[in-house]
Amino acid sequence: MKKETIVLGLGNPLMADEGIGLKIVHLLMSACGENARADFVDAGTGGMSVLHYIANRKKAVIVDCALMNTEPGTIKRFTPDQVKTVKELAHLSLHETDILKVIELSKQLGECPGQVIFFGIEPQTVEQRIGLSDLLTKKLDDYVATISKELVA
Amino acid sequence: MSENINIKVKHITRVEGHGNIVVNIKDGSVEKCQWQVPEAPRFFEAMVRGRDYDDIQTIVSRICGICSISHSLVAIKAVEDALSIKISQQTDDLRLLMHFSEQLQSHVLHVGYLVAPDLFSAPSVVPLVAAAPDAVKTIIKAHRVANQWSEVVAGRITHPITIVPGGFSQIPTETQLRNLQNELKALVAPLVTIAEVVLSVAGNLPAFERETEYVSLANDNEYTFYHGNIKSSDGKTMPVSDWEKVANEYVVAQSTAKWAKWNRDSYAAGALARFNNNAEYISPLGKKVADMFGLKKGCCSPFMNNIAQIAECAHVTEKAIELIDKILTRGLKTEEVKINPRPGRGHAAVEAPRGILFHSYEFDKNLKCTWGNMCIPTNQNHANMQLDFEKMVPEFMHLGEDGLRQTMEMLIRSYDPCISCSTHYLNVDFVR
Repeated sequence: MKKETIVLGLGNPLMADEGIGLKIVHLLMSACGENARADFVDAGTGGMSVLHYIANRKKAVIVDCALMNTEPGTIKRFTPDQVKTVKELAHLSLHETDILKVIELSKQLGECPGQVIFFGIEPQTVEQRIGLSDLLTKKLDDYVATISKELVA
Repeated sequence: MSENINIKVKHITRVEGHGNIVVNIKDGSVEKCQWQVPEAPRFFEAMVRGRDYDDIQTIVSRICGICSISHSLVAIKAVEDALSIKISQQTDDLRLLMHFSEQLQSHVLHVGYLVAPDLFSAPSVVPLVAAAPDAVKTIIKAHRVANQWSEVVAGRITHPITIVPGGFSQIPTETQLRNLQNELKALVAPLVTIAEVVLSVAGNLPAFERETEYVSLANDNEYTFYHGNIKSSDGKTMPVSDWEKVANEYVVAQSTAKWAKWNRDSYAAGALARFNNNAEYISPLGKKVADMFGLKKGCCSPFMNNIAQIAECAHVTEKAIELIDKILTRGLKTEEVKINPRPGRGHAAVEAPRGILFHSYEFDKNLKCTWGNMCIPTNQNHANMQLDFEKMVPEFMHLGEDGLRQTMEMLIRSYDPCISCSTHYLNVDFVR
């Protein structure tokens, strides 16, 4: 049975800090357990699958590595209308799927959650290797605590 | 005709990854015409070295967010081949069922979200919702069913978690399979609707053909995605273990991606290659869809790859309905994975949605990976795209700069290329 809230981790664990969203979602999953009020999903880089994961939920929390022009390691909470994408590749290329366009499509279909919250984490390193940077690893507890507050709200 | 045309498309949209199109025509004569791939290499082969045999499929599934099931399955087949691990018929059938789900997911995504906007002259699928709401909703429904199908068998929509060397860590229940089968039966009519919608605008597909070698898997009496040998439409067949002699990978100055060729200067992989090599075995509904568009074995129009994908959507749905009956009639069994892995080198191929995909691995006595080699379908298509461009530009330059650019972009999209798929991070500016 699908829960009202879904927490989606996006990213790729083979690209260093690009995998931060997945790591956080796995930690939240272990911390909150099966009986949590939310479904937790490691959605990888499955772009358009986000459309289906969030469909007809009340709340979607999306955790992802984000280039925000902030200090590496910074976590920021924002909603889709607080940002504009600066991706060069607009118009839905798949792996470069612009998540904000997916949210727009979801709205047009009338199945978008009333609340969509992003947690962006500024990476220190995005390169071909398995494992997060030390900087982000040290902050994992803080990230989990910050996002957990969103889930009780 | 005396005409100057300068096209430089940096990072063509609605394909996966980064590719550029460069054309210079001076006084009606083509001075430059290139398909360029500027992506940085990913070095996945180096990443698997030193890893345990049972970690490989988990790692390589992250190569791609669209073909993650194909990468997982080809890796596990190659690992099992290397380590002399045998699997049960049930395991083979369930993996095939999983693999079919990815064909449907990916093809619907490609045709519905990426190609359809070209045919409807829309910049993306988002504005299409207002222009053709029923069609888009039908496409999204089909995509949703395909996603749920993957989730039932693979444990989640992307990046499978249920497969292990030798079998499955978890199999679906009989109820889940029956529910899935009912969903698939209900999907047949919407798939025909999608075909009809595409047919209504198929006249917008450019009329372009080029005599081409097509390479895919082929197997006895089967339209195969998963078993069999490598086949060329020129007639040769090759065992999967010799795939390096088929791809003959090489490098060119204009591209960071490797190119491939077998019997000619290039070959094509993908749905049209599978159709051209296996059309006589496509399911009745797949044939009906192909017939709607006049798609016949021997077709050499790359744009018909999109149509072959629609026919394959019908095929995999129909075949999956039969396969679920076969699995359940035999009786679902929880099988303990018992293996006795021995070191060695192994090879495998599967048909990813966008074409034939090869993986090979070697393991030492501690069952650690010492070597890996992978060859993705898009790399096998790059040389063919370039040769298509060289024939297309003189034939279509009368359309002028915009018309030629759009036709060339459509050509690239028709191959459903997967140029780079390992990174996707958000890049945002805050609204002030």
